[in-house]
Amino acid sequence: MTMNLIEVRNINKYFYQPTQMQVLTDVSLDIEKGHFVSITGKSGSGKSTLLYLLSTMDTAFEGSIRINGEEMQGKRNRWLADFRNHHIGFVFQFHYLLPEFSVLRNVMLPALKLARYSPAEVEHRAMDLLKLLGVDVQATKRASLLSGGQQQRVAIARALINEPLIIMGDEPTGNLDSQNAAIVFDLFRQLSSERGQTILTVTHDDDFAKRSDKVIHLVDGKVAH
Amino acid sequence: MKTFTNIKLSATIAFTHMRARLKQTIIATAGVTFGITVFVFMVSFIQGSNDFMQAVAFEQSPHLRLYNEILTAPSNILDRAEPGIINMVSHVKPKDILLNLKDGPQIVQALQQDPRVAAVSGSVNTQVFYRLGSSSINGTINGIRFEQENALFNLQAKLVEGSFRELSTLPNSIVVGVGLAKRLNVKTGDPLEVTTEKGNNFSVKVVGIFKTGLTDIDKQQSYASLNTVQRFLEVPMSYITDIKIKLHNMELAPAMSEELQAKYGFHGSDWKQDNAALLAGDALRKMIVYGVAVTILLVAGFGIFNILTMMIYEKMKDIAILKAMGFSDTDIRWIFLIQALIIGITGALIGLLFGFLAAYGLSKVPYKSDVMITLDHLPVSFSAVYYVTGFTFGILTTTLAGYLPSRKAAGVDPITILRG
Repeated sequence: MTMNLIEVRNINKYFYQPTQMQVLTDVSLDIEKGHFVSITGKSGSGKSTLLYLLSTMDTAFEGSIRINGEEMQGKRNRWLADFRNHHIGFVFQFHYLLPEFSVLRNVMLPALKLARYSPAEVEHRAMDLLKLLGVDVQATKRASLLSGGQQQRVAIARALINEPLIIMGDEPTGNLDSQNAAIVFDLFRQLSSERGQTILTVTHDDDFAKRSDKVIHLVDGKVAH
Repeated sequence: MKTFTNIKLSATIAFTHMRARLKQTIIATAGVTFGITVFVFMVSFIQGSNDFMQAVAFEQSPHLRLYNEILTAPSNILDRAEPGIINMVSHVKPKDILLNLKDGPQIVQALQQDPRVAAVSGSVNTQVFYRLGSSSINGTINGIRFEQENALFNLQAKLVEGSFRELSTLPNSIVVGVGLAKRLNVKTGDPLEVTTEKGNNFSVKVVGIFKTGLTDIDKQQSYASLNTVQRFLEVPMSYITDIKIKLHNMELAPAMSEELQAKYGFHGSDWKQDNAALLAGDALRKMIVYGVAVTILLVAGFGIFNILTMMIYEKMKDIAILKAMGFSDTDIRWIFLIQALIIGITGALIGLLFGFLAAYGLSKVPYKSDVMITLDHLPVSFSAVYYVTGFTFGILTTTLAGYLPSRKAAGVDPITILRG
């Protein structure tokens, strides 16, 4: 029997600006450990909103979210930040590396924050990840000087550095050309099958969704079956 | 331990931010530097002038003075003769009292034994006319024992020409103030006439000229030996009108004044009463300096506030990404607070250095004044208190200026930014 890494029960989420509007209605779902899961839906269907609720950064919701057996509802900012640091890695559509820092430093930052290993050890691990993703040559360059595809691979290395339970992606291939998108997709696939990494991405790329283990399709804030 | 490594990490991020915006950072630091420099410079100068003026005034005024004063009797004779009846006495005249201090020389001796007392001098002070040819000038003459008076007022240092020593060896000799000498057009060795209140005339010889720097004193005062003045007034050897006391700790003066007045029944006054106007002036000038400095620092603080606020708007994405990585609100707050602190501390330290250099330069500027005769360079104080105050002010303003933007940064909602 496989364990559910994420358990979502009866979530309701409202936006209050500009007028009150229900974005998610009674959403319940389970995500198993090691699965590659895509969340799909039209724009405005609430798929990003769901992802950011699961990311623990959005705390205003009704219902229950349990990740790795821990309830997220009603936790304090510092606790949630620490939880993200330990267990969640992010990859965004617009890369979002810190432009003034070197590539290596960008990858190291979450691990320095975690402080599980010494800075020298962290640097070693970051280098290994950059090698794995084929961007180790760029390690000392400033992040803003890399191409889009390279930046996204660095962002994935950064997401992996703390060996998180889940990697969350918000349209991780949305801003890449098809060749780079294929590279990033294959990386995710590989992480999931070879490392048993749980991956949860929001995408509107049907091709991407079709090749995941599970698709959660949202229609008007509800899970479609 | 964890908190410390968190703050250290925030600090390295802060450093990277500042290095990327070196120009803005330097301008913000320069603002703080300027504020502190002006503060240190101005306070040093004003305090230096205050100290100098106080020193001039206090050298001429003893810490404590005992004397007698002509007063109206507190009750009239009818009241004492027939108590319980309402008596009306109009136009009561002041009591004719002797101005001398009873048992003065004995009290001077007793006070010399007091451990709180550094020096004590008994003297006779009286009004006279100085006359030369047809001109006659009103003034005072001070009958002193030179050794005692010198211990209090350092008279020797104020001598311009001649000598004080001859006062005790040469009968009818006086040392006159520089202003008085000028008005009478006399030099050391010149003869002079002195007329007392009772109309007695004495011929005296000028043996020296002094200047205190206080025009009022220099224009009308002279010193003679105690015996000489007692002889002018036709009073016995025990007659003295003033006891002047210098204490080891001048702050004790008001309390000790009360004590001695009660003990001996004389009038008394201390340096705080005698120089009330001067002390009040000092306090006011200091308030002005602090006001100016705080204003400058506030302006510098606004500079820091602006730069940090702008930086936070530019760094919204970075803040969001750091939060997504697992940096807490507190970590984010530290990143920006540390930037403000670094600007504040660096600016304040450089400001102290520049302030010191400016003050040092000022203290080397030659300055001559007719009023403050003993001055040859601009007076500047180098008291450490003002450096500590300046530094504290600088840190306080910059911390405050950094705190508000850093709170704003901590409050950034990562989702609205990450969703685009």
